[in-house]
Amino acid sequence: MPNPLFVAKSLLISLVLAATFTNAAAHADTRIVQTAYGPVSIEGIPKRVVTLYEGALDAAIASGINPVGAIITRGGSDVAEYIQPKAKGVGIVGTPGETNIEAVIALKPDLILASAQLAKEQYNLLSRIAPTIVPNFPAFTPTTWKQETRLFTEALGRAETGRKVISGVENKIAEVAKLVDTKLGPDQRETALIRWMPQGPLVMSEGLFSASLLNATGFNVSSGGSVKDGRPHSHPLSQENLGLIDHQWIFLATLNADGNEALQAARKSPAFQRLKANRSGQIATVNGQLWTSASGPLAATEILNDIANTIDNVATNR
Amino acid sequence: MKAYRNYVATWIMLLLACLASLLFGAGTLELGQAFAVLTGQGTENAQFIVMELRLPRLVIGVATGLALGIAGALLQTLTRNPLAEPGLLGVSAGSAFAVSLAILFGASTATLTTLISQAGALAGCSLVIAATRIQGVGQDPVRLVLAGATLTGLLLSLSSLLMLIDQRAADEIRFWITGSIAGKSWDQLTATMPSLLLAGAIVVGVARPLASLALGERVAMGLGHKPGRIRLMVILAVALLVGGATALAGPLVFVGLVVPFVARSLAGADIRKTLWLCLPIGPAIIIAADTLSRLLVAPSEMPLGVITAVIGAPVLMGIIRTRRIPAL
Repeated sequence: MPNPLFVAKSLLISLVLAATFTNAAAHADTRIVQTAYGPVSIEGIPKRVVTLYEGALDAAIASGINPVGAIITRGGSDVAEYIQPKAKGVGIVGTPGETNIEAVIALKPDLILASAQLAKEQYNLLSRIAPTIVPNFPAFTPTTWKQETRLFTEALGRAETGRKVISGVENKIAEVAKLVDTKLGPDQRETALIRWMPQGPLVMSEGLFSASLLNATGFNVSSGGSVKDGRPHSHPLSQENLGLIDHQWIFLATLNADGNEALQAARKSPAFQRLKANRSGQIATVNGQLWTSASGPLAATEILNDIANTIDNVATNR
Repeated sequence: MKAYRNYVATWIMLLLACLASLLFGAGTLELGQAFAVLTGQGTENAQFIVMELRLPRLVIGVATGLALGIAGALLQTLTRNPLAEPGLLGVSAGSAFAVSLAILFGASTATLTTLISQAGALAGCSLVIAATRIQGVGQDPVRLVLAGATLTGLLLSLSSLLMLIDQRAADEIRFWITGSIAGKSWDQLTATMPSLLLAGAIVVGVARPLASLALGERVAMGLGHKPGRIRLMVILAVALLVGGATALAGPLVFVGLVVPFVARSLAGADIRKTLWLCLPIGPAIIIAADTLSRLLVAPSEMPLGVITAVIGAPVLMGIIRTRRIPAL
């Protein structure tokens, strides 16, 4: 058994060596980014990035950086399915609500990207591990994801790539919007985005990432006033109040692998059967991880593909 | 004469609760519209809301209230403990844990859930009875409740563990654990009905022997009853009732405590009279609580389990505080 003192010494030496080495590598390229907890300075291109927010994981991968750590998606046990192929081997360091600080330390990050909701206490801990970026933009606006993507890619030293990625998504939005325009008249676009629960629907906020993309492509998403300000979705609505979401289109987000199964389950409810969208077959089942938890440019592209596919199946109606 | 008045009063309360449950909801349907449906008129939308959404809830509420009230009265007489309540003693938690397991493994058909729920209730019930055999616990009402609370805590944390394992099942399980009769359909009732009827038949058969058992084992044996068999039948009935109610509404605590408590304070200690009074009181309490659950946070709904706990917890404390708990 090696002498513990010797082990500690050699550890210390290697740490010092590593630190000197990193300092030498980080030449003049120092950026200062504005975060919710003040300006943070970052040197060089980060090599070991930990993302504590799905939008940050998405932005990092979109700009060509593979984080070493990330959190699971809501309603899953890994990162969201849409990003799994691109995030192979990423370490899981927590859930959207709870970070495992020890797991973060174990990954020895040189940059931490967090969500706007990160609490001050958590920030104080994390910022001692590595520079920690917390966005400070109003939540649930159509431009939140763009602002966040710009901030994260700037911190990653990939501001230029970030700009390109964002304008790519903007082009795609315009493309899908044109498609929607050719297929649907202006009076056929009333939409609700919901998740069906046994007792009634969870109605998603109009400001939710995917809902803002629906709006940007010409749909008219409405929660009927059932979502409180600053919340991502309503409490399960009483089945007596389905009038609030009885729109021409329903995007039904499901956490089941098989969206059809979730739709069949919802159709067991007589109140669901009566919905306009159910009678006219204008219900699109979409992946709940992607549509109600994720954000960022890659997620945007996937969601826009879903919208385009949904619309493609519709006979031209104007 | 006084007893007669009590019966009439409780049945009138049940009727009023039923009426309120059909007339009031979390939706925008006007009272007049709902009333029109009851007189055979009303718009198509009003018809749907009252007949398809509120009526099944009402009937399921009646079934749940009956089952939990009677189960509570039986369990209290059997354990000679006025605090013995299926929800507090872990019978409901056993049932909920079994259902959570089943949901985790992908069960969905209503029939399957009822059976599993009843098996879980039977296991929970057996543990309770085993606990009453432990020296000291059986004689002290509060200690039995403590043992039950421990079991409930254990089972509920195990259920939470299941939710962590599978996030997808978690939503459904969470819905179960809080307890609610919203969005339930006739199918679920028809799946549970046979076992509830069977339990009812057992109760009718076992009420008189149980009353004599309450006077002491010797008295019961002298009257020609077999105490062991009576106990077994009662446990079976409680498991069927609580399991069925949990399959319908989730683990509702305190209902089995409050209902027999009110009934006993009106009728005295005789289990047969208590059971008769439980018939209107159980459903009335559940239906009143369910109607309240729709009005408090409209346009959403409060889970029924929250309301029953808020009503029931003070009653439990009241019973413990106001009287030296009598051994039944």
